Amino acid sequence: MESFALNARKFPGSLTSLADIRHYISQVAQHAGLDKHTVYKLCLAVDEIVTNIVVHGYGASRASGDIFISTQVTDASLSVVVEDEGPPFDPHAFKLPSDKDLKKPLDSRQPGGLGVLLAFESVDKLLYERIGNRNKNIFIVNRQTEKS
Amino acid sequence: MVNFAVSSEMRGDVAKIRLSGDLDSSSATLFKDAVAKLAPVPPKTLVLFMRDLNFMASAGLRILIFAKQKLGDQVNIYIVQPQEQILDTLQKTGFDQSVYIVDDDPL
Repeated sequence: MESFALNARKFPGSLTSLADIRHYISQVAQHAGLDKHTVYKLCLAVDEIVTNIVVHGYGASRASGDIFISTQVTDASLSVVVEDEGPPFDPHAFKLPSDKDLKKPLDSRQPGGLGVLLAFESVDKLLYERIGNRNKNIFIVNRQTEKS
Repeated sequence: MVNFAVSSEMRGDVAKIRLSGDLDSSSATLFKDAVAKLAPVPPKTLVLFMRDLNFMASAGLRILIFAKQKLGDQVNIYIVQPQEQILDTLQKTGFDQSVYIVDDDPL
């Protein structure tokens, strides 16, 4: 099975890094042969989790820190690993908006939770681990275009 | 570097805002400010031109909620020509049920 890891990258834990991170992910995903729609969704998923890290992780703890991103491509999938040193945050433990919430008119909506929902909806798998002082979010996208 | 731009105009009770580039949490403030400026004299119709908007995170959705809550629930929001992926986001989150998604400027 073909498998190769691309260089890990470090970005400042700031919202101003979002565009650079999307650009990096987009390049990797295109290199892996993913179609435009899948590339966009992967970028969206990573963007949402990184935003949470910056705003609710580093921001809430008044700490500065970096975002570490590495990628791995196999015949079957592309994995993007996003690590940070903020407080523990498991997106799987987060209460997502319910179907009922998503049917509410906008004027009675709560703005929270949509980002994590989009992150889960936009990739094939989103895994989480806490290792030492690091959160590790792993985004996995199947390389369907390669198989077809 | 922020690759995002907002321009707005108000004519009568219709406000039109054109968005281009990437709308994420770092750039959403510009969009929010443009909406907030409308609040003193809330329009009846808000038209958002999104043809040139290439990316929209949930930060953009939060501004749509802000618009409804700040301008009043009677304001009609039109989204003109959103790109396929942004339309997908609007549909997955149910926002397509609260705004009008159209192909042309409605007014």
